[in-house]
Order: sequence, then C-alpha cells, then structure tokens
Amino acid sequence: MTLTTPNHKATVAMDTEAIRRALARMAHEVCERNPGMMELVLIGVLRRGAVLAHRIAAILPSLGVAAPPVGTLDISSYRDDGKGRPGDPRILGRDIPFTLDGKPVLLVDDVLYTGRTVRAALSALTDLGRPTAVQLLVLIDRGERELPIRADYVGRNLSAPPGQRVYVKLSEIDGVDSVVISERKA
Amino acid sequence: MPRFPKCDLVSIDDLTIAEIEQIFERAADFAAALERGDRLALAEGLIMATLFYEPSTRTRLSFESAMHRLGGSVISSADMHSSSAAKGETLADTVRVVSAYADLLVVRHPNDGAARVAAEYASVPVINAGDGSREHPTQTLCDLYILQRKKGRLEGLTVAICGDLKYGRTVHSLIYALARFGANIVTVPYGGMALPDYVLERVAAERRYKLSTLTIDELKSQSGGLDALYLTPSAPHQMALFTGDDPLARVPTARPPAALDAFYVTRLQRERLNGGGADGQDYVHFDARALRSTRAQGAVVMHPLPRTDELAYELDNDPRAVYFEQAAAGVPVRMALIAWMLEGARRAARPEPAQPLVRFKTGSTPRCPNALCITRHESAYLTPRFRLAHNAGRAVLGLRCEFCERELKVEYVGHASSRRYYHFDENLYGYVRRWIEDGTLAVFETVKEAEEQGYEPYRRGPQREIMNAAEIAHACQAISTQIAADSAEPTALVVVGVVSRGAILAMRVCEALAPIMNFRPPCAAVDVYADDPVLRRIDGATDNLCVDGREVVLVDDVINSGWTVQRAMTALWRHGRPAAVKLAVLIDRGHRALPIRPNYIGRSIPTARGERVSVRLAPGDTGDAQKGVDRVVIYSLLEPHVASEQAP
Repeated sequence: MTLTTPNHKATVAMDTEAIRRALARMAHEVCERNPGMMELVLIGVLRRGAVLAHRIAAILPSLGVAAPPVGTLDISSYRDDGKGRPGDPRILGRDIPFTLDGKPVLLVDDVLYTGRTVRAALSALTDLGRPTAVQLLVLIDRGERELPIRADYVGRNLSAPPGQRVYVKLSEIDGVDSVVISERKA
Repeated sequence: MPRFPKCDLVSIDDLTIAEIEQIFERAADFAAALERGDRLALAEGLIMATLFYEPSTRTRLSFESAMHRLGGSVISSADMHSSSAAKGETLADTVRVVSAYADLLVVRHPNDGAARVAAEYASVPVINAGDGSREHPTQTLCDLYILQRKKGRLEGLTVAICGDLKYGRTVHSLIYALARFGANIVTVPYGGMALPDYVLERVAAERRYKLSTLTIDELKSQSGGLDALYLTPSAPHQMALFTGDDPLARVPTARPPAALDAFYVTRLQRERLNGGGADGQDYVHFDARALRSTRAQGAVVMHPLPRTDELAYELDNDPRAVYFEQAAAGVPVRMALIAWMLEGARRAARPEPAQPLVRFKTGSTPRCPNALCITRHESAYLTPRFRLAHNAGRAVLGLRCEFCERELKVEYVGHASSRRYYHFDENLYGYVRRWIEDGTLAVFETVKEAEEQGYEPYRRGPQREIMNAAEIAHACQAISTQIAADSAEPTALVVVGVVSRGAILAMRVCEALAPIMNFRPPCAAVDVYADDPVLRRIDGATDNLCVDGREVVLVDDVINSGWTVQRAMTALWRHGRPAAVKLAVLIDRGHRALPIRPNYIGRSIPTARGERVSVRLAPGDTGDAQKGVDRVVIYSLLEPHVASEQAP
C-alpha cells in the first residue's frame, strides 16, 4: 500500500517509539486482565493485525509469561460488488493450527473503525470452535462505529473525518513504523 | 431372483474381522477371474443405484464397474446437487424413492452421519461411499486388502499416517480398522489437522488405545531418528504416537515402533475447509528420501488418491509405491463386498452400544454441536440422538451424537417434570443418569436458554427488586428518545428484539418511538436458539422484513457475556447487510466475554458472577394495568454443590 503523495496533507500520529510504547502498555494490560495467561491464544487479522499479534506475543515473555500461540485470519476489506453496493468484509482464509475450544482468544487488528471486520472475525472464530471469550486489541480506534463493537485494549484513539484515512505502517511490511492520517486517495 | 438382504455398510466396524477376511478371499478370486476374463452372472437382474451428493470419480466408477462385472446393472445420479436435492428433496425421501428403483444403494454425501440416515430410511441395503469427514469404509477395505497382500498379515503392523487427519474420512475408517488388528499407528498430522477427539475417544474406548504425544525431539532421543521426520520439509510441531495395548497385560507400550510397515499419505481436504483454512503451502511432501532410511526399507507407500502434490512422481516406479494397486483393487474388493452382501451377509450379532440412548422430552432435544452434522441440515424430520460419551467421567457431562459422533458438552441440565435447571456438576451425575432413564433430562447451553423454556433455577437466594414497573417504563422511554435523537433517517429504522423479553421490549420501544418520530418503525423478533434463526415480524405486518441498508436497533433485556447478541447479529447478517446496528438493553450487568458494547442502556448494574438478573415483563401490547407486573429482580444462585444436596 503506497502512502501519501506530496500534494496530500499528511499528519504523523504515531512514530516508532509511540507504537512501541503503546504495544508494551497493551501487553501489560493483557497480562493484567488474564492472570497467568492460561491458554490465551492470539489471532491477528492479516496483514498488519497479524504483525501486531506477533509483536505482542514477542513482548509477553519479557513480562514473565510464555509466548502464546498466534494464528491469523484473512479478511477482505470493504469491497464493491460492482453493483454500487458496499459489501461486507468476508473471510478469505485462516491459519489457526490449534483448537479454540475452551480457550480465551485475543483478536488483534490495526485499526478499529466501523466494526464490520471485527464482526466478521467474531463470526469466523465462533464457526471454528467454541472459545470461552474473545478480547479485542487494536492499535488505533478511530471511532465512528456502525456496530456495537468496542475494543478491550486501545493503543490510541484518533478521530479522523470520514474523508481521511488512517494508515498504519509497520516495518515488517512497510519498512517503517508509523501511523499517518492523510486525505483519502482519489 | 435373489435380492439383497437388508444389511448396510455404514462404518467399517459393521464388519467383523472374520467377515473382512472372507471378503478378501472373494476379492482375490474375483481379481483372478477378471484376469482370466471370466463372465460372471452373480448379480444378474439386480440394479445398483449410485447417489453421489459430492463429486467422485474412482469410487463411483469402481462401484459401477464392480456391479457390471458381476452381471448386474447400474442406475446413477452422479450429481445429486443438480437434481432432486436442488429441488429441496430430503435425503430420506430420495433414498425411499430410489429404494423402489434399485436393489442396492451406494451413497456419498457431504454431511457427517448422512450414511446412517440413508441406511435407516432406505428399504434396500445402503453402502456408505463417504459421509462428510466421518467414514469411507469401502476405501478402507481396499487399503487393508493391499496391505494384507503386501505384508502378508494385518495383525500388529506399524503404519504411519500423514497429512490431513482431521477431515480425512479414509483415515478415520482406516484407524478404526487398524486398531482392531492391533496395529501401531503413528500419526503425523499436518499443522492443525490432527485427528479429531471423537476418533481418539472411540479407539480409546473400544480398543483400549492410548494416545501419547511426543515432540520431535523426544522422538529423536528415544528412537534415534524416526522415519516420519522426513515427511515434511517444515516439521510438524508435534507428533502423536499410538501404541496398541497388549490385550493380555493391558499395559500400554510407549515405545516408538521399531520399523514401519506402511506410510499412508492423504491429500488436504480443501473442500472441507469452508472457504478458509490453511493454505497448504507447507503440506506434507513425500519423496524417495523418506524411503531410504533403514527403518523404512520395508515400508509401502499408500494413498487413497487423488493426489495433489504430496506424493512425488519419482516414487511411482518404486515397487513400494502401491497406490495405483490400491486403486486397482477397488473393483475386485467392491465386487467381493457386493457378492458378500448378496449371499446372505450373515452377520454375527452386533454388540449393543454400551451406553443407552438418552431420551429427551419431546421438543427439548438439544441440537448437535457439529454444524456439518446431517441432523443440522435435515432437521425437518431428523431428531438428533445422543448417547453418553465414551469418556463420560462424572465431572463433565458429554453427549455423543449417534450420527456424527461429535460430543456435546453440557453446561446446564434441567429436570423436565419439576422445571428446574442446574449448572452441571459431578454431584448431579447420579441424578442425571436417573433422568436419562426416565426421559426427563433437558440440557441447555446457557441460563437464558433454560429460562426461555420456562425453567427456574433450582434454588435461589433472597431476591431484591432493582427496577419497578415505572422505572422500566421510564427506561424504555429514555432509550427511545435517544434512538430518535441519534437517527438521521427515521424511516430507515428497524427494531429487532431477541426472543422473548427482548421482543416485548422491542414492541414497547416501537410504541414509544411512534409519537416522537411520527413514524412507527417495523418490528421483528429473532429467536437465537432456533435451528434457523429467522426474523419474524411481530408488529402485525406480513411483508418480509428487509434489513439491507437499514439502521437496525437490536433490543434485549439483559446483556451479560454478549454471546446472545453475537448470535443475533449472525442471524441479522443472514438477512442482509444493515447500514448500522445499534444495541439497546434494559440492563447491562457486566461480565462481557466479547468485545460488544450496547449503545443504549436502561441501567448498568454491577453484579457478581453467581448472581442472576431476572426481568419480568407483561407480554405484548397489554394495558397499563397489566404492566404493573413488570419488574427486574436480582438474586444469587446457590452454589451447585449446595443445590445438589437438595436435588429431587
């Protein structure tokens, strides 16, 4: 995903250090809410949510708990079915090589916006097994929810007008860590 | 003209060891006869019908070839999905009808347990040619036949089974059969595709097999490197190792096998991954290297075919690669099976299942937890049947589906005569056994489900009122005012209540919205515990409710974990794509297990886990006088062990 072109105004909302701190804080909160981390499993939404899930999993051992297993869900973003109607996110694939039955799940995504991706993820997770609970961790909550979804752990709340886009860039994919708000590409 | 006696082959366990050996002798005779080009007339005048609800080439063709070779004839419906099933005919009706056209049915179906249903409803014998991810007994007959010919015996072999063990029905049947011959079975699952628990539990209960899980490192240190390690380029993170019990000593031997007799490789069952699933990029790839180690020198390589790319083509010329022989055995083995079924199929009496059927009061049978179970897909006429699970200890109440063998773990049990429910706990086990015998057991997933069916908690502590009728009315009014204020486009509103108290509240919200907005939004109810949760209009209108592009207000009485709301949203999405969903609840009692937050809350009441919030509402559009009964009370449930001491 390319970012802003020079003619678009872009604001950097989080830099490398801010992202690192937010993730470290959220990892602490996850430990606090899940004493002993018994059986907690992480599911990241591809692609950036999955990267974040792996980073959270990597922080946890330094907090004295074993690194939990990480799986991924591949969910399409909004698509247009060609008839001018917006479609809902769909599950394109998953890589979850462990059972969810009887386990608490931590769902990880980069940006929480309308809540539709999370709804699709919740329904995919419950199709797959019977998790005891699902907690939601997001790096950015940009508000403007269309569904009654809320995150349990939020890196930062950002409000951006609907015309703008929040880009989360992560070094594993984009070569750099930052969160940028910019005009939506035409 | 001889007819087939009614005797079905649903599971490989429907055949005794002696019968399997009998069939193999016949198969060898038929193979020789085919070689000589003999004309056979054993099945002359008889018709076999093949009903395939799933694509198949070799199974169907080899069945049809076998029947023709025996002098019989075949009628076929290769693609049931384009014929009667597409018109909505049930499996039961189809097999009943086709029973009149043919003397023998061969059925393949995508749902678990479908073969048992076909066998029960057909008046002629049914052979299972694969039902969902459950069993494929005739493929197993071919596998065993080749193994016996190559190894000279079936007893005590060591077989490594690699790949997709979760959905591979050929693997499941093969494991049931090998376990009866006392084989050592080493399973090498592809990541996440390990043998399902219900298969393990069945061989554990019926054959006293024990699963020991070893990591690769443990395997290495114990055995100095096992051949199975060569199976995948990216090693599976764990291996499971079965060891057969010594029936005399009944002591499991936990030694890794000394030498392997066979590798059984399967393909990834992509069609069962339900759209998603592992991409299979690092799936088992089996090539000549695997056969080089001393331990695997004498091993044959088997595959039920079709292969994708888990077997290297370079193996094809190795004499130990027997998969094409397996496929070729399909015709003589199926001829032998048909002949055996025709010639009386005298069977030793089958032992009755150890556990009795659980009888439920009419209408309160729980549904099978397996979404692919045939009872979930043909629920119009099929009632799920359950027995106590194999491993039923006293601490967990597990019910095993008679059709698909999956286990339902019961959270709440109820007693149908006294209409009381309890959280299941081991002190209740004795009572539950008695209720099963009396047919008075009811089971529930949640407290809400129990209470929707009119059950009361067995014992409750003192209760206190937290909202009276006036406060409830005030809360409904306040919620409605907020909804109206937030709604940009009142005519796009739809109010949906969760059965049953959420639906009553939804009606009241609609009533309150009408004067504020000068528009009465359509109102519907959703029953989240129904098999097929549809939206039902409750405002008297008869047209179908469209949620596409509408702003849906979902209403429920109490939000707790959030699972009910999640189910209700899943039901909404089956009807379309709402532009937005807002959640309104009378009481938020905390304890959320899902990332769900109501938009409108009548009152937030922090509660302890052992407490219950009970909402009582006068139904429907009753007058103000009747609404006097409305109240919300909170009380604590007694601890299960306290309650059970006083259970009936």
